[in-house]
Amino acid sequence: MTGGDSRRRDYLALAISLAIGVAFIYAGASKLRDPLQFADSIAAFALLPAVLINLMALTLPPFEIACGLLMLRPRTRRVAALALALTAVMFFSALVSALARGLTLDCGCFGVGAPSRPRMWLESGLNILLFAGALTVYLRSTASRSIRSRAT
Amino acid sequence: MARDLVLVVLLAVASLGVGLAINHYSSQPLPLVYQTPEQRFDAELTTLVAAPPFKIAPAATIGLPEFRTIVDAKRALILDARPSLFFAAGHVPGALNLSRQDFARDYRRLTPTLKAARDQPIVVYCAGGDCHDSRLVANALLTLGFSNVSVFTGGWEAWSAAKLPATTGSAP
Repeated sequence: MTGGDSRRRDYLALAISLAIGVAFIYAGASKLRDPLQFADSIAAFALLPAVLINLMALTLPPFEIACGLLMLRPRTRRVAALALALTAVMFFSALVSALARGLTLDCGCFGVGAPSRPRMWLESGLNILLFAGALTVYLRSTASRSIRSRAT
Repeated sequence: MARDLVLVVLLAVASLGVGLAINHYSSQPLPLVYQTPEQRFDAELTTLVAAPPFKIAPAATIGLPEFRTIVDAKRALILDARPSLFFAAGHVPGALNLSRQDFARDYRRLTPTLKAARDQPIVVYCAGGDCHDSRLVANALLTLGFSNVSVFTGGWEAWSAAKLPATTGSAP
């Protein structure tokens, strides 16, 4: 790999990190505005028992904002990228399971919206992109760390 | 990788702590256990009819002659606020049972009829004498946006004492 390739890949990781980071800060903030509505969105998936729904609704918004902020900082990007890759797997599984069970719902991903199956498919696709992006950033950050470790 | 996973778990735990703290200081905190919209509505309705009498917005009251005219002419939706057992034993013809005791359940059961009568005259009665159920139900309906609600203060006691027609069973 040439130095030019490496720089290009660094810029790619930076661009992905910024895009995902800003998107998650926005998504977390929009959920934080109406936790009750978000709890209803989680309940609509019919996956969690009642004792876990509100805890999930209270945890996810700060988690998303924290991950978004950590994605913006090179030193913390790696952990945030792994967290968001795992989050994407969780969201994707929940959406696909809801689609398979014939449910029509609003995932509450970016605040309140109308329940819609086409939107659920779209959001499933976005989660695949999110997973790919977060994984790219994670692997890239891990590789950079290994290079730095060997250099010191 | 394992170290990163531990950090992710720590991040999730910290987020839970922050979320609980935000919820604690929120003006409308979530309860720890989720309630469905139906359960929340039921709780809200139950709170409405449990309001102490001194908080009641005074609904208009009517006497027996006026109530009888209204019943005969079917000019209003008549609601019986007594428990279903008493309603089944005897009630004003055409009345529906919206009991204070099971207000949330009855309100949901009668929602289509009640919604259609939102701006129509509604008269509520209960046992009569010192009973407060009709006033509590009338107040709850006014709070829920019904605009024309009054109370027949004589209640079932005055109606039956005048030997006026009665219907038995759970049907109107």
